[in-house]
Amino acid sequence: MDIPYTVSARPDTGLYNAKIGIWLFLASEVMLFGGLFSSYIFLRVGADYHWPVHELNVTLGFINTLVLIASSVTVVMAWASLKLRRIGQFKLYMLITVLCAGVFMVNKTFEYKAKFEHYAVKLTDGTYLTGHLPEGYEIKFGEVGDLTLTVQARTSAIDADPVDYVLPFLAGGEARFKTEDGSEIELNETTFADLREKALAKAATEGKNNAAIKLVPTSPLAFKAKPGKILGYNATTMTFRDGSIATGKLTDDSMVLEVDGVDTRSVPDAEKSLAWNAGYLGDAWKKAFVENRDHHLKAFEEKYGDRRDPKKSATLQKEAFFMHLHSATPEAGHGDDHGEKKAAAGAPAEHGDAHHAHHPVVKIDKKDIAFYSNFTPKLNTYYAIYFTLTGLHGLHVVAGALVLAYFLFMDGRRLRENPEHLANRVEVGGLFWHFVDLVWIFLFPLLYLL
Amino acid sequence: MSATTHDSKQGADHGHDHHEPGFIGKYVFSTDHKIIGVQYAVSGLLFLLLGFFLMLLMRWSIAFPGQEVPGLAFVEKLPLLGPIFHEMIGRWAPGGVVNGELYNMLGAMHGTIMVFLGIVPLGFAGFVNFVMPLQIGTIDMAFPRLNMWSYWLFLVSGIMMLASFFVGTGSVQTGWTMYSPLASTTTLAVTNIWMHGHTWWLLAMVFNISASLLGSVNVITTVINLRAKGMSWMRMPFFCWAMFVTSFLLLLAFPPLEVAALLQLVDRVFGASFFLPTGLMEGGQHLDIAGGGSPLLYQHLFWFLAHPEVYVLILPAFAILAEVIPANTRRPLWGYKSMVYATLTLGFLSFLVWAHHMYLTGMGTMMSTYFQITTVLISVPSVILLTGLMISLWGGSIRFTPQMLFASAFLPMFGIGGLTGLPLAFTFIDLALHDTYYVIGHFHYVVAPGTIFALFAGVYHWYPKITGRYMSDKLGKLHFWPSLLGMNLVFAPMFIQGMGGFHRRWYDGGKYFEQTSGVSNFWTELNSSIFGLFGMEVPNNLLGLNVLMSVGAFILALGQVPFILNVFLSIKGGRKTNSDNPWHCTTLDWATPTPPPHGNFDFEPVVVRGPYEYSVPGIDQDYFPQWEIEPGKAAPVPAGAPASAPAHH
Amino acid sequence: MADSPEEIQKSIRKYLWIGALLILFTIITVALSYVELPTHSLNILVGMIVATFKAALVALIFMHLNHERPLIYKVLAFTTVFALALFMLFIFTSGDPLVFEGF
Ligand code: HEM
Ligand SMILES: [Cu+2]
Repeated sequence: MDIPYTVSARPDTGLYNAKIGIWLFLASEVMLFGGLFSSYIFLRVGADYHWPVHELNVTLGFINTLVLIASSVTVVMAWASLKLRRIGQFKLYMLITVLCAGVFMVNKTFEYKAKFEHYAVKLTDGTYLTGHLPEGYEIKFGEVGDLTLTVQARTSAIDADPVDYVLPFLAGGEARFKTEDGSEIELNETTFADLREKALAKAATEGKNNAAIKLVPTSPLAFKAKPGKILGYNATTMTFRDGSIATGKLTDDSMVLEVDGVDTRSVPDAEKSLAWNAGYLGDAWKKAFVENRDHHLKAFEEKYGDRRDPKKSATLQKEAFFMHLHSATPEAGHGDDHGEKKAAAGAPAEHGDAHHAHHPVVKIDKKDIAFYSNFTPKLNTYYAIYFTLTGLHGLHVVAGALVLAYFLFMDGRRLRENPEHLANRVEVGGLFWHFVDLVWIFLFPLLYLL
Repeated sequence: MSATTHDSKQGADHGHDHHEPGFIGKYVFSTDHKIIGVQYAVSGLLFLLLGFFLMLLMRWSIAFPGQEVPGLAFVEKLPLLGPIFHEMIGRWAPGGVVNGELYNMLGAMHGTIMVFLGIVPLGFAGFVNFVMPLQIGTIDMAFPRLNMWSYWLFLVSGIMMLASFFVGTGSVQTGWTMYSPLASTTTLAVTNIWMHGHTWWLLAMVFNISASLLGSVNVITTVINLRAKGMSWMRMPFFCWAMFVTSFLLLLAFPPLEVAALLQLVDRVFGASFFLPTGLMEGGQHLDIAGGGSPLLYQHLFWFLAHPEVYVLILPAFAILAEVIPANTRRPLWGYKSMVYATLTLGFLSFLVWAHHMYLTGMGTMMSTYFQITTVLISVPSVILLTGLMISLWGGSIRFTPQMLFASAFLPMFGIGGLTGLPLAFTFIDLALHDTYYVIGHFHYVVAPGTIFALFAGVYHWYPKITGRYMSDKLGKLHFWPSLLGMNLVFAPMFIQGMGGFHRRWYDGGKYFEQTSGVSNFWTELNSSIFGLFGMEVPNNLLGLNVLMSVGAFILALGQVPFILNVFLSIKGGRKTNSDNPWHCTTLDWATPTPPPHGNFDFEPVVVRGPYEYSVPGIDQDYFPQWEIEPGKAAPVPAGAPASAPAHH
Repeated sequence: MADSPEEIQKSIRKYLWIGALLILFTIITVALSYVELPTHSLNILVGMIVATFKAALVALIFMHLNHERPLIYKVLAFTTVFALALFMLFIFTSGDPLVFEGF
């Protein structure tokens, strides 16, 4: 029994099944990416920060655009060749298409990787410092004299569980504790379960449904954790995400950053930015910044007079108030961003490790840090939508390439016995591929250029 | 396209070898639309049952907050089932009491399961898969393999949803609407965010949506390209039309929800701020987020799907009733054409009204006026559909089979649901009623005694085609009356409570808010005196109604027992049908052997007339099937035309 | 029908030309994005117009939408309407009257 109209078209609709199917699927894809693009607009219209423009690596994006366009041409050529039964050409074009997909994805990987290693730190006055964290960033806590666990009788979504939430951050000393009744234990799943049960039983007799367990370490402990992994801390206590509290002493919570950019666009008076504090970049860099800023402001004024409002020019704001640092000291600087070309292409150095030695290293006090993140979705809504859109698009590229590769390598029998059917399949796969290209045509300017 | 080819072959796709599939190929990983339909329907029924059970626990907590759920301890002690139940629910209910967290989980999962894993799979996927290819006279769906994938993706999503009860955190707690920012930021403090009920919910939704997309692509393509000869658009049964439009809603409205789920996933797992505004605080602390996002964005994406979704829930009901009612009144469907056009209009408009769920988010007057207008507009086609069905009863000699009982109850019940929706369409009324039990009452009248009754009708109607046996009439009636009573006892008091200001998500049923719940009126007095007759003391205030509603839920639960028995017992024990067309219907689904074999028809169906030719004057039987040129004689296949549905193997 | 062998033969050249045109317009987009128009919104507008033109080339020529069946057009027309609703209404409901500040 065969389903009709898999190869030839139904006379009244003029279409074979798969063609209808793929167009319907594409219609739903339009709504999918439509939803994402309208989220983009919504976020951009409502953004309360300076929306990044030309901040991604334009060259990589441009190359990827060319690659996708080329593959779009080859896939349609592959279909045409198959229709004309030029089998060799068909195979060649399909192969190029699949290879293009590979190149695209490799480029993407480089692009993503650079982002993950690059950080932005928002200071409390709104200044952003960008750069690298050579040592990572961790809160260090020492001389822990006791540990208090709070356990709940009522099970809740987060249960007190020092084994999962506290011990992983142990950075010195052993997890051996004295309990309240004087015995010495090694804290692990079984001993904790024991403690917990006893404490709750005791609490129950007192009519409470939670209990605190106090543990005293046999030797002083040290902890070390990324700030996001714990609930909070102050000079003497560290609170873990399960509610356990360690009492001791904060030893270090400052951040070491190799600064490659200073963005003062959100600071009311850029010259007063925290970044110029003596402990941080200092007066010499401030001088360089002011020079650079005034240079750009003046150039703008000369070019446009008062026909344009400097405050409304996103490009000017970026050139004048977002300084990129290319050297360890301003004196050694090769003239910052003065050259127009450099300023234009000036994505903060993401070109990796080679530059590290050429950046000033500052130690930032925790009290000055409002927020920090690497260049991932967490950093701001722009990067969030950038990763989501391009990630989803990347998945489409992979899926499309797999389908086309299947037609090329695994469908040999159909090619011999029913090439017309294979041509239909290639046409359908190609339609999907063109759609992926079409999405990129919008993605590229929206995310990289505008 | 094809006319050009060098080796143009007609129609068929050669190169398969036709080996007989084994049991697994035939019933488990089947590509046959009928098996898939039954798989969908059975899964859907099971999920409905589960969702209903979750709701019973909730209703207990509402009526008797802080009291032990009877039987819970017993279930926990059962051998095999006990531990499973404990892991799923029991561990959240120390001492057998439903606490706030458990209530929230139950609520969120009840909604999700009912909508996405119950009604859509049964009402849409189940019925459309089984019935539609038969009705349009083809041998299978256009893409049988995709169809199978659709079912299995759906099942994966269902299993993930279920599994989310068992992971450490328990399932989601933020309502079926999953509103951010709450849903983006709650219970994030876990060691592994991937082992979190909320994460599983979001992933399960992505699978569920993919399944719906495959299904709807399949349905639309099949309807467009595989209709039998003579089956022109306007000869297509209304069932197929309604399902066709439903598929478009699924196809085009679901992707934005997928976007919402993805973005929320990114928010939760990678710490992004899509839905989180700048400066958001929780428990007096600034969160470690960038901010800059918008909670409204979530609501837009969600309701862009969720309003069309309510029509996905209701159109299959109309589809089924348009077959059941004419068959049992022996009258043509009244206003077939206007119903078709109404459905198309409804489908179109349903995309343009979603923000009526968001009146309270502070949108400006211009936009809220727009949404009020479209919302009122969309009730016009709804009314046309309902009116069409009602007038179809006129002058009929009605056979009150169980399916007809459910169908006739649907009409007033849906009417109540729809009419109570109208006031909500106006901002000034919605201000008072939003997020109260009134809204819950409104949509439950539409989907519970509405859609679910229609689905029951469908089961009774097509069961003989699937199994070759009737379901029991007696059990059917025993199913119908308690269901009708139970439904109304549960949902009618919601309007009274809602107008009194009851919020829809109080796990203690409003006990804590005495100012609201202490109010009494005529209905509460009636309620408390009726319970008084039975010697039960129920407070004479809005809280007292909770008890009534929970009793209603219990009656409803009992009412389903005959149905379950009926479904299972009739497979082997039901009265045999003595014909392929036991209800004397006119559509092609009744032209096949019973049960329909692989490939469906044993002749090539050719359609010669419209779908609802009942009681046609001048012929001596009261129905005139679509495929007969004169009673009892199928139309001949026109010569020369390429075969659309070849004769059986 | 436009898909006969002769037609396909002819369209092969067309595909190559369109490919070249697409590359040309990509270069134009990149170049234009560095030209500072009076407001950045204008830059966005111009960029989107060029992108839409490119997208139209892909859709019409590569995806054969210049000679497709009416049914496909119908499906796409509805999709476009809904997608537009998705774009416009989200934004219109977020502020009344509308102010575009972010651009
Ligand atoms: C007849 C025309 C209808 C109108 C005018 C209407 C109007 C409304 C309005 C304005 C709301 C929002 C109330 C609020 O949240 O404050 C609402 C909620 C709802 N309606 Fe309808 N409705 C209609 C038909 C339906 C149908 C046919 C269904 C389902 C099959 C349905 C299902 C729902 C659901 C599920 C909700 C609540 C969703 C939630 O907040 O969780 N409605 N309706
Ligand atoms: Cu709605």
